[in-house]
Amino acid sequence: MATAEKEKELIAGLRDAVINYKIADAKKLAEEAIKEGADAYKMTMEGLAGGMETVSEKFDNHEYFVPETLLCAKALYGALDVLKPHIKSDSGSKGQVVLGVMLGDVHDLGKNLIKAIFESAGWTVHDLGRDVPLKSFVEEQLRTDSDIVMLSAMMTTSMVGMKKLIPMIKEKNPNVKIMIGGAPISEKTVDDYGADTTADNAPNALREAMNMLESLRKGMVSA
Amino acid sequence: MEHNIIFQPSGRRAKVPHGTTILNAARKLGVGIEAVCGDNLTCGKCKVKIMEGEFPKEGITSSLSHVTRIEEKDKKIIKDLTAEISSAKSDEQRQKLERKLAKIRKKHQELASEEVDENIRLSCATRVMGDVLVFVPEASRTAEQIVSKAAGKIDVKIDPAVKKYYMELTAPELSDPVGDLERIEAALKEHKIENITIDYSVLQQVPDILRESDWKVTVTVLYNREIIKIEPGKAETNIGIAVDIGTTTVAGYLTDLNTGEVLATESMMNPQVSFGEDVMSRITYCLLNEQSGIKELQQVIITGLNKIILNATEKIGMTPHDISEIVLVGNTAMHHLLLGINPEYVGAAPFAPALHKSVDVKAERIGINILPSGNVHVLPIEAGFVGADNVGCLIADKPHKRDEFTLLIDIGTNGELVFGNKDKLISCSTATGPALEGGEITYGIRAAPGAIERVKIDPDTLDPSYQVIGSDRWSDGKTDMQARGICGSAIIDVIAEMFKAGIIVKSGRFNQELSSPRIRERTKGISEYVIAWAHETAIDEDIIVNIKDVRAIQLAKGALYSGCQIMMKKLGREKFDRLAICGAFGTHIDKMQALVMGMYPDCDPEIIEFLGNSAGDGARVALLSVDSRCEANEIARKVEYVELALEEDFNDRFGEAMQFPHMYDKFPHTEHLVVVREGKIEA
Repeated sequence: MATAEKEKELIAGLRDAVINYKIADAKKLAEEAIKEGADAYKMTMEGLAGGMETVSEKFDNHEYFVPETLLCAKALYGALDVLKPHIKSDSGSKGQVVLGVMLGDVHDLGKNLIKAIFESAGWTVHDLGRDVPLKSFVEEQLRTDSDIVMLSAMMTTSMVGMKKLIPMIKEKNPNVKIMIGGAPISEKTVDDYGADTTADNAPNALREAMNMLESLRKGMVSA
Repeated sequence: MEHNIIFQPSGRRAKVPHGTTILNAARKLGVGIEAVCGDNLTCGKCKVKIMEGEFPKEGITSSLSHVTRIEEKDKKIIKDLTAEISSAKSDEQRQKLERKLAKIRKKHQELASEEVDENIRLSCATRVMGDVLVFVPEASRTAEQIVSKAAGKIDVKIDPAVKKYYMELTAPELSDPVGDLERIEAALKEHKIENITIDYSVLQQVPDILRESDWKVTVTVLYNREIIKIEPGKAETNIGIAVDIGTTTVAGYLTDLNTGEVLATESMMNPQVSFGEDVMSRITYCLLNEQSGIKELQQVIITGLNKIILNATEKIGMTPHDISEIVLVGNTAMHHLLLGINPEYVGAAPFAPALHKSVDVKAERIGINILPSGNVHVLPIEAGFVGADNVGCLIADKPHKRDEFTLLIDIGTNGELVFGNKDKLISCSTATGPALEGGEITYGIRAAPGAIERVKIDPDTLDPSYQVIGSDRWSDGKTDMQARGICGSAIIDVIAEMFKAGIIVKSGRFNQELSSPRIRERTKGISEYVIAWAHETAIDEDIIVNIKDVRAIQLAKGALYSGCQIMMKKLGREKFDRLAICGAFGTHIDKMQALVMGMYPDCDPEIIEFLGNSAGDGARVALLSVDSRCEANEIARKVEYVELALEEDFNDRFGEAMQFPHMYDKFPHTEHLVVVREGKIEA
């Protein structure tokens, strides 16, 4: 077992490595944490997710942009790959999402950033990739019983598919929440297509998802 | 209550209070609409079209029911006038008022009978009651967009697909009663033309024309295959028209098929703009309006082409029917919509077009107003996103015939790239979006009078000086320049100048340590730089560039740069021997500024060439040379298309290329231009 002091140091190191996208450092620190017998879950949540939270803030106030965020995600994954096998399965997931890029669309940069932010925050992400057939979203949601389905589109032409897909998902499971995102999507698209919400960047998406999850869980209790 | 109003084709938008007239909204936004009579319903100049339907890209649903009907104001004016007439003090005054009333009634009737159905409204008398998308037709616009699609120099051996043959035939006699057409055939045989067919309607004219012209006629033959015209006597004039259908602008070049000379140039905004500014939103329109969408879009472009044809022929005292062939180029979506082919499948992966090879159709079948039996030739398509316009660039620039490696960039709403030499050519399409042309930029407007087109920033004082379209003067921060916004060339200038002066750093962030009244933060986190103070503008607002605009440019230039990089890697090359930039927009940008910000990889500025509207030049080449059409078909199939998004490291390359000029790549040709500041924040 690592001492509390050592753990603190490792967490601080991991945070810093993610925020300042020191890819090699992130991996090295994760390996050190395992060697020292530190709690992998704690390292992930407080170190990596904590760092990613700061990255989100920096993105929000325009200090960081896509290139920096991509690098931060890289540092994050480098460490996460090392830590993940050591996380005890009962550590619990915050929530589950099905994520994918609409049929006819192969632009997955935004989707990948979403995935990094969600995974770092302790969510289980079922990533269907890009150019995903409509029915795959429906099937994956049913298979995993995910709380939220997140649909991404970079082109208006692929966005139009959401109009058809959202009722398909809601028909099978009216409780599932649907978040849509991508360049052509506005609040109006959300209303017109019957989605639940949208977000203009990955950090906001995470906040929205937290809110939706809360309302879902509350709904379950009162029901 | 407020409603959204969007004007097309300018793309300007705003929220306006309930009940604002469309004309007033236009004035507030600097959208030029003719209004000669001063809102009195008499001149009928301020006609606009109210678009109906869902416009997902603009995020509004526009409907005719969102504006008032014309009669309201009309009725009031008529009532007032009637009252004035009855109390008129003199006959003269009464007659004057009666004339005015008759004029209003007439205008109203005209509108009621013809145009109300077509959603045409007088903008001065129509009030906004809900969200609307308003299209301002060419005729109603005051400040015309500067469309610069001048014909370039082309090098071509003239051998058109339509040729004229003068012949003097012998009249039939009882001893020689052979048919009329066979006599023409025999004469054509002397020109080595055999197995010829004849257009049905031309056939009907043959006997009379032959006899009326004393058996001396000129026959027009298409592809040495079909007679498409017969004229009495010797007719030497042989003209055709080459047209480049751009997503935003359409340019036509009326051309002498004997000499290759351009006789007249005509251009206009693509009237399809009212259905969506970019290709994707027009395809979406077709998707959402399954019954009518394709037809509508085809109809408006054909109407537009006919106008270009009419105007161009009028300029040289000829008529549309004197044109025997039209050659067209356009991106794949424009191509499909022109031909009335469903563009849906071009709009989504795997982006397969309906066909690659060139198309020939009879003009009357498609409704293009040239000689009805004349030919419509549409150049071939390379790949889903690399269309006939790109093929046009290729047959004009001929990179496939060169030893040296050419990197050809066609900057339009999309960026198409071709790289290679005589051994191999590859192409790709990059989603540059409209930012490089001033779209989606806070104060971005199209290149029209009032648009800032050039910007310089003094790195010591951090003060800018700029030029506005329509004036040679450089601004001094004091003079009223009547500026309205920033167009594409100035966006590139200002971003490059801000980077050079150290106002923005490599990552795109504003340098927080500089102090200048021009660098400020009115909204928390949104840094901005003031280009023009409100007193210098015609809009009474400071014209600024903010961090969001910088980010939009970073996305666009990152897409372009990473496309170049991946193509070079594909062919295992570290550099190119020439950089050819085509597209009308390309001719306006400053190649050094674009290089400074890293729109394309570092190179000696000497090897950068601006080809102008080479898609249009390619259309002219195809019009003048039947051989080049074979070449076009060959090249369209030979160029290998690379789908960037499928490249494994695309997202990384894209991200790296978003920085100024690049996250890692060196720019030895421009780095000395960038100011290094003491205590500069870490990029």
